[in-house]
Amino acid sequence: MELASNIGIPTVLIGGLALPAYNVARTTLDIDICIYVTTQEQLDIFIINLEKVEIYTKQKPKIVHDVFTVFEKKNEAEIWLKPCDAFNWDEIMLKKTRSFQKNLDVLSVEDFIITKLGRTDRSSVDISDILQILIANIDSIDWKYLQYRLDWAGLADDFIEILNAFSLDIDSQYQNIAKRIVNKFKKSNEY
Amino acid sequence: MEKKKETSRTPINISVADVERAFKKVKEFQKILKKGKTPQQIFEDLIRLIVVEE
Repeated sequence: MELASNIGIPTVLIGGLALPAYNVARTTLDIDICIYVTTQEQLDIFIINLEKVEIYTKQKPKIVHDVFTVFEKKNEAEIWLKPCDAFNWDEIMLKKTRSFQKNLDVLSVEDFIITKLGRTDRSSVDISDILQILIANIDSIDWKYLQYRLDWAGLADDFIEILNAFSLDIDSQYQNIAKRIVNKFKKSNEY
Repeated sequence: MEKKKETSRTPINISVADVERAFKKVKEFQKILKKGKTPQQIFEDLIRLIVVEE
């Protein structure tokens, strides 16, 4: 990620490894990195620079691809050309990325939720991640922006399914936060 | 604007236990933060689990 940053290619950490940036954690064996390149030339420059630091790909990545794998001695990582297989970068998403630590940026919490909800091979792990992100970030989520992104990605109905879970008959100690999550989202819909 | 792919994803089925588990996990994370660890340190711990040393 440092390398991409040095050659001016915006890069964010995505997937399970990015979860601590949103106050959530679980073990994962995958390293998923997303780069923002708009031309084949930029992508080629990125790959050439990776090779200079002994990181290689066996593929011939093209700008129209979703993802390729890179190897470094015994480690490997997936390099995504879009934040989610269901949608591409846009300028707002790019502007909303934020620093997690030096040379390590992540998507906004709202966009990260959309990447989890939107993925084609979405699993129960992604749903569990989203539940935790909503709980852990209830007061920092821009609910209006989340609403915009859900509509943009055609995921509003899926998100409602998740919100409905917060209205289930859960343990009383969690009900206050659960209600607040539902109300925050409802309020964002009223504008 | 980029057109999104049409997909048919697995339906969402969330149980009471799933929601309560999510709350518990968030609590556990917050406990770790209270003990003085930062999210960045937790990230580094996760990286150490993945990265194979020479």
